[in-house]
Amino acid sequence: MFFEQLGGNLIQGVVLGAVYGMATMGLSLIFGVLKVVNVGHGAFIMVGAFVTLFLFSSLGISPLFAVPVAFGVGMGLGLIFYYTTIRKLIKAPELATLLATFSIGVLLEELIKLIFGSEFRGYNWVVGKIDLGITVLPLSKLYAGIGSVLIAVLLFLWFKKTRAGSAVRSVVEDSEGAQVCGINVGGAYALSFALGIGLTVASGVLLTMFIPVGINPYMGGGYTLKAFVIAVLGGLASPYGAFFGGLIFGLIENGSYTLFAYIPGVEPFALTRFLSFVILLVILLIRPTGILRAK
Amino acid sequence: MKQIPKYLPLVPVFAAYCVLFLIGENMEGMWQLMSMLLFYCALGQAFNVFLGMTGYVDFGYVAFLGVGTYGMALSITRLVQYEFLGVWIIVIGFGLAMVMSTLLSMAVGAVALRLRGAYFAIATIGVNEGFRFLIEGARIWNGSEGMIFTADLNKILGRDTAAALSTYWADVMVLVIAALAAFVTLVYMRSKIGYALTALREDEDAAKVMGINVTKFKIIAFITSACLAGLLGATAWALKTPYVFPPEVFEIHYTIEAIIIVMLGGAGTLLGPLVGGLVYGIAQYYLSIFLPGFQLLIFAPVILVIIVVFPEGIVGMLKARTRGSALERFIM
Repeated sequence: MFFEQLGGNLIQGVVLGAVYGMATMGLSLIFGVLKVVNVGHGAFIMVGAFVTLFLFSSLGISPLFAVPVAFGVGMGLGLIFYYTTIRKLIKAPELATLLATFSIGVLLEELIKLIFGSEFRGYNWVVGKIDLGITVLPLSKLYAGIGSVLIAVLLFLWFKKTRAGSAVRSVVEDSEGAQVCGINVGGAYALSFALGIGLTVASGVLLTMFIPVGINPYMGGGYTLKAFVIAVLGGLASPYGAFFGGLIFGLIENGSYTLFAYIPGVEPFALTRFLSFVILLVILLIRPTGILRAK
Repeated sequence: MKQIPKYLPLVPVFAAYCVLFLIGENMEGMWQLMSMLLFYCALGQAFNVFLGMTGYVDFGYVAFLGVGTYGMALSITRLVQYEFLGVWIIVIGFGLAMVMSTLLSMAVGAVALRLRGAYFAIATIGVNEGFRFLIEGARIWNGSEGMIFTADLNKILGRDTAAALSTYWADVMVLVIAALAAFVTLVYMRSKIGYALTALREDEDAAKVMGINVTKFKIIAFITSACLAGLLGATAWALKTPYVFPPEVFEIHYTIEAIIIVMLGGAGTLLGPLVGGLVYGIAQYYLSIFLPGFQLLIFAPVILVIIVVFPEGIVGMLKARTRGSALERFIM
C-alpha cells in the first residue's frame, strides 16, 4: 500500500520534475551568460500562466499552442528589459541587478493584477488520462513533461549546432577573447537574456497543467524559491544541470509529501515547502557549486 | 571638542522625528498618518543597517519582523497566567523578540554570509516563506490559525491601558526604535565596523587582503539589523494589532517596501531611510485614498529608474550638492 502510493507519487514526480527543470533553465542560462540572478524569475512564469489562460479562455486556443506564443512574449519582454535596464547594470555592483530584477518582478505582478485582477483562476483542458496501475496520469501533464524534454533537447542542439549558440558559449568561456574574435558580446548578452526569459515564460504554460485553479498574479514567489533550489542543485550556471536538478527536485517534493502525510498532526504540503528551503541552505552550505558537478 | 561634531548628523534625524511626533500629537486626525510614517522610517532605518552598509540584499528580511511579532505574542499568551509579572510581560516580550530574531539571523547568517553577493541573495529569498511553512506545517505556535491575544492583553494591563497601548504607546515605541536604529547606524559608521563595511562594500577581496575579517563585520551588521526588525515587529505588529497570523507577518510585501524606502532615500546614508520613509509613506497614504491598489505599480518603475539613473538616492544627491557648504556636517 505504502510503496504503491510512493511509486505512484514518484512517477508523478518525474513528470513534474521535468517541467520544473525546464522552468529553471532560463534562470541558469541568464546567470551562466550574464552573471545576473533573475530574482523576478517567478513573475515571468506567472506571465506564461496568464498567456495560457487568456489564449484558452478567451480565444479557445489549446495550451500546447500557447507554448510558442508565450515563448515569443517572453523573448519580447526579455529584449525590452534587457535594453532598458539590465544592459546598463551589467558593470554595476551585484546589488543593482538583484534589486532591478526584483523590481521587474514586482512590476509584472502589479501589471497583471491591473489587467486580470487578483483572484485565483484556472482553466479546464480535458484531454483524457492514462492508467498506469499504481497511479492515474492526466495526459495534459504527460504532454507538459514530454514538451519540457523536447524544449531541453532543442536548447541543447541550438547551443551545439548553431552559430549563435556557439557565440554565446564562447562569451561564457571568455567574453574578452570572444570580443577579440569579432563576436558581438552585447548581442550575445541580449540574445541570452531574451532566450532565458522566453524559456521561463514558456515554462509557465506547461506548469499550468499541474495547478488546476492556482493561476494568480502572486503565484510566482513560490516558483522563484523552487527555481533557486533547482538551479543550485544543478550548479546555478548550467541549463542542463538545472534540468536534471528539476528531475531530482520533483522526486524529492513528491516523495517527501508521501512521507510527511504519514506523520500525524502536521500539514504535509506546508512541510514540503519548508523542506525545499532547507535543501537550499544545505546545498549552499556544503556545496555551493552544485551537487551535479563531478569535480 | 572633537566629540561634539561627531553626532551632528543625528540632529536633522531626531529633529524630523520630533516634528512628526508633535504634528501627530497636536493636529487632529494626523496621528494615524504619523504612526504610519514612523513605521516606514523605522523599517528603513533598520533595513539600512544591513543593506546600506554592506551592499548585500536580504530578500527574506520580513522574517525577522515576523519572529519578533511571535516573540511578543508568545510572551503575552504564555505568561498571562502569572499575574504578578504585570507589565513586565511586555518587557519580557521585547527581550524574547530580540532573542528570537537574533537566533534566526545567526542561523541564516551562518550559512548565507559565508557566501558572496548573488549566492547570499539566493539563500535569503526563502527565509520568510521557509519559516512560515515551518510554523504552518509542523503546527508550531498554533500553526496556520495564528494567535489572537487581545483578551490576554486586556487581562494583563486592564482594558483602558491596553487600548492606550495599541493606539498610542506602541507608536511612541516605534519612534524610539527608529531613533535607536539611526543612533546605531551613526555609531557603526563612525567606528571600526563602519570603515570595515565600507571597505567590504567597495571591494570585498581587497578588504580581505587588507586583513579585515569581512565575515565577522557582515554578521555584526546582519544581527543588528535583524534585532531592530524583531523589536519593530514586536511593537508595530504585536502590540498595535494584538494578533499574529503566519501568512501576514511573513508577507514579502514588507521586504519590498523596505527596499523601496532605502533605495529611494539613499542606501548607506544616515538620513536616507528617513527621507525615503517619509516620501514613500506620504505617497502610499494618498495613493491608497485616490488610487487604491496601485501603490506598487507606481513604485516598481520608480525604483527601476532610481537603480539605473541615480543609484545613490535622494540623500546621496543632496550630499553631493552640499559638499563644501556649511550643511555638509549635518547630512550623512
